[in-house]
Amino acid sequence: MRQSSPSHRFVAAIIAIVTVAAVGCGKTPPASFRLNMVQATKATVPESGLEKPWASWSRERQQQVATILEAMFGTPDEPVALPETGLDLAKLQLAAGPVRSDIVGRKNGLYREHCAHCHGISGDGMGPTAAFLNPYPRDYRQGKFKFKSTWRDAKPTHDDLVRLLHEGVIGTSMPSFALLPPAQVDALAEYVKYLSMRGEAEIALFTYAEQELGADEALPTTKEFLVDEVLTPIAEKWQGAADARIPVAAIPAGVDFNLPGNDLANRDSVARGKALFLGDGGCVKCHGVTALGDGQANDYDDWNKAIVAVSAEVAVGLLSSKEAATGGMSSDALADHRARSAWLDSFAHVLEGDALRPRTIPPRNLRIGHYRGGRRPIDLYRRLYTGINGAPMPGVGPSGPGGKGSVADEEIWHLVNYIRSLPYEMDGELGADRPMVAKDRF
Amino acid sequence: MTRFPRLSSAVLVAFGFLAAGSAHADDWGTIKGRFVLSGDAAAPVELKIDKDVDVCGKHKLVAEELMVGGDKGVANVVVFVRDKGVKVKPEAAAAAASTKVVLDNKDCRFQPHVTFVQVGQELVVKNSDTIGHNSNIATQKNAPSNNLIPAGGEATVKFTTDEAIPAQVTCNIHPWMKGWLVVRPNPYAAVSAADGSFEIKDVPAGEVELQFWHEKAGYIAEMTIGGKSEKASKGRKKVAVAASGTDLGEIGLAPAIFQK
Repeated sequence: MRQSSPSHRFVAAIIAIVTVAAVGCGKTPPASFRLNMVQATKATVPESGLEKPWASWSRERQQQVATILEAMFGTPDEPVALPETGLDLAKLQLAAGPVRSDIVGRKNGLYREHCAHCHGISGDGMGPTAAFLNPYPRDYRQGKFKFKSTWRDAKPTHDDLVRLLHEGVIGTSMPSFALLPPAQVDALAEYVKYLSMRGEAEIALFTYAEQELGADEALPTTKEFLVDEVLTPIAEKWQGAADARIPVAAIPAGVDFNLPGNDLANRDSVARGKALFLGDGGCVKCHGVTALGDGQANDYDDWNKAIVAVSAEVAVGLLSSKEAATGGMSSDALADHRARSAWLDSFAHVLEGDALRPRTIPPRNLRIGHYRGGRRPIDLYRRLYTGINGAPMPGVGPSGPGGKGSVADEEIWHLVNYIRSLPYEMDGELGADRPMVAKDRF
Repeated sequence: MTRFPRLSSAVLVAFGFLAAGSAHADDWGTIKGRFVLSGDAAAPVELKIDKDVDVCGKHKLVAEELMVGGDKGVANVVVFVRDKGVKVKPEAAAAAASTKVVLDNKDCRFQPHVTFVQVGQELVVKNSDTIGHNSNIATQKNAPSNNLIPAGGEATVKFTTDEAIPAQVTCNIHPWMKGWLVVRPNPYAAVSAADGSFEIKDVPAGEVELQFWHEKAGYIAEMTIGGKSEKASKGRKKVAVAASGTDLGEIGLAPAIFQK
C-alpha cells in the first residue's frame, strides 16, 4: 500500500532535487519523526459548521501535536528524556542519530544501523523494507508488545525486550542481535521504550483532541496536562512492568521437561493437556482439532484490525458522499458535505501512503515446533497464561491478580507438555479423518 | 464523592457546581426520552454463520448495528452525563457498589448488546452457551482484556477509569459477535431499550451536559427535540434537570446519520 502515483513520485523527485540544491551535495536534512497520520486523520473528523476549510483546520491541529511532541521527546537526532519518563538519556543518545563513532570511538546511531530499515525512524513499523515482510515489523506506537513475562495489558520488562533482541523472533524477519555487545542491546531496548512512549503520547494527544476538544479549541499546553495527564500514566506503566510479572505455578508431578514431549514418562500429563486443548482451554477453536492452525483463518491482530476498520468506514463514506445529492442542499449543509468529502479523500490517501495493507493473522501451526516468543516451557506457559497481547489469542489464566482463569495455573503446565509433544505426534495418530495438512495443499 | 476532574472540563464542572448550588441541595430528577427514527429503516441483515454452525446456526442471528423496534424506536443509543464532577446521589452510589453487571455470551451473541458498567463495579462476563467463547474488550484508557470463557464459565473484569466512548467487545472465535461496553465514573448513563426509550434516574437538579452516542452513527451531532432541529457538536447537549423530572420527549434521528 506504499506505492505512490506517478505524479507523487514526480513531486517527490522535484522536492529531492530542490532539497539537494538548497542544502548542497553530501548533506542530508536532519531526520524527523513522521506523524501518526492514521490517528491524526481519525482525530480530525470534520464537525458541522467548521469555519475554516477542513484542510487548514486539520493541518493546524496536526501541527500542534507535532510541536508538543518535539518539545516533549525531541527529534530522532536529539532525543529528550523528561525525568517523568525514567529513561536514561545517555543510552538514548547511543541509539539515536545517524550512524557514527563518537570521540572515544564508540559506535553511535545504533537504532538506525540495526532497526530503522524495518521498524522505521519513528518506530511505526513502516521502514523501507516493511511492506515486503510477513509478518510486518512491530509498530511500537501503540505500546503493545507480544512476548513478555508480564500481565497481558502490562508493558514488557526491560529484560523481556533485551531477551527478545538477543534471541530474535523465530518464524519472522526479526533476527537475533546476540552478537552485539550487551551495552548496545541495552541501549536499543531503552530506545524502543522511548519510541513507544512517544507513540503512545501521540495517540493520547490525538484521542484527547478527538474526544474532548471543540472545533475552535486547541490542546492545553500546561505541564498539568502534558506531563501529569498525558505522559505520567504512560511512563508509570513502563516503570511498573517489573512488578507486573505473572505468577508462575509450581510444575506438577508427572511433568518432566527434561524429556521430550512424547516420552512415556510424560504420558499422563500429555493426555491431561490434550483434554484441556480439546476442552476448557478452547485451543481447538483457532488452532484446529489437529493443531495445524487451521481452525480460524480470517482474523486480524490489533494493528491490522484498526486499519481494516477505518478502511471500511472510509470506503462506505466515500460511496455515500459521492452519491449525495448536493443540488438541494442549503449552503451550510453544502459546506459540511464538502468538509466531510475532503476528510474522506484525505483519509483514503493516508491509508494508501501511511499504512501497510492489512493482513490476517493465522493461528500458529503447533506441529512445526516454532514458537515465536521462545521455546522454553516457561515461554509457552506465559503465552497460554495471558494470551498474546495485540493478537486474537486469549489467555487461559486470570486476566489480572486475584482473578480466575478458565484453566487452573498448575494445569497450564499439562497444556505446555501437550503442545511440546505435538511436533512428535505421528501422522497416524491423527486418525483416518485427518484434515488437509500443509503438504496436501501444494 | 465529589472528585476534582483531571480533564479540561473544569469550566463545565464549575458551572455544574453553580447550577447544582442554586437548586435545593437534595433535589434529584430523572431525565427521560425516546429515540425515534425519522424515516424508514432497512431490515437487519442476517449474519453468515460459519463457525460452530450446529450451535450458532439455529438462532437466525442478525447484524445488530442499527436496531429499530416498534414505533420506529432506535435501540442501543448511549446517553450519559458528561460532567466529570457531577454530584452522585449517595443511595445510587451505594447500589452500584453492591451490584454486579452481567454480560452474557448467549445464543452466540453478546447479551445485552450494549452493556453499562461503572468504574469500580464488577463486570461478570458469562458464557451460557454450550461452546467456548472469548470476550475481547478493547478499552482505550483501561487495560484491554481478552479472556477465554469455556462453556458455562465466567470471568470477572473491573475498570479503574472511565472511557470517553464505548469500547467494542468482540469474540475472536465467532467473528460476527460484536457488542459494546460503556464505562462511566457514575450511575448517570443509559442505553435505549428496544422501543427507543431511556431513563437516567437521580440526576442532581440543575444543568448537566449529556452526550449521545450510537455505534453506527458515532457521536450523534444532530437530532430533533420537540419538533425542533438541534445541533449537538460531538453529541453533547446541555439540559436543565428539574426535580420533578425532565422529559425530552421524542428525539428524532435522521436515517442519514446512520449511513456513514
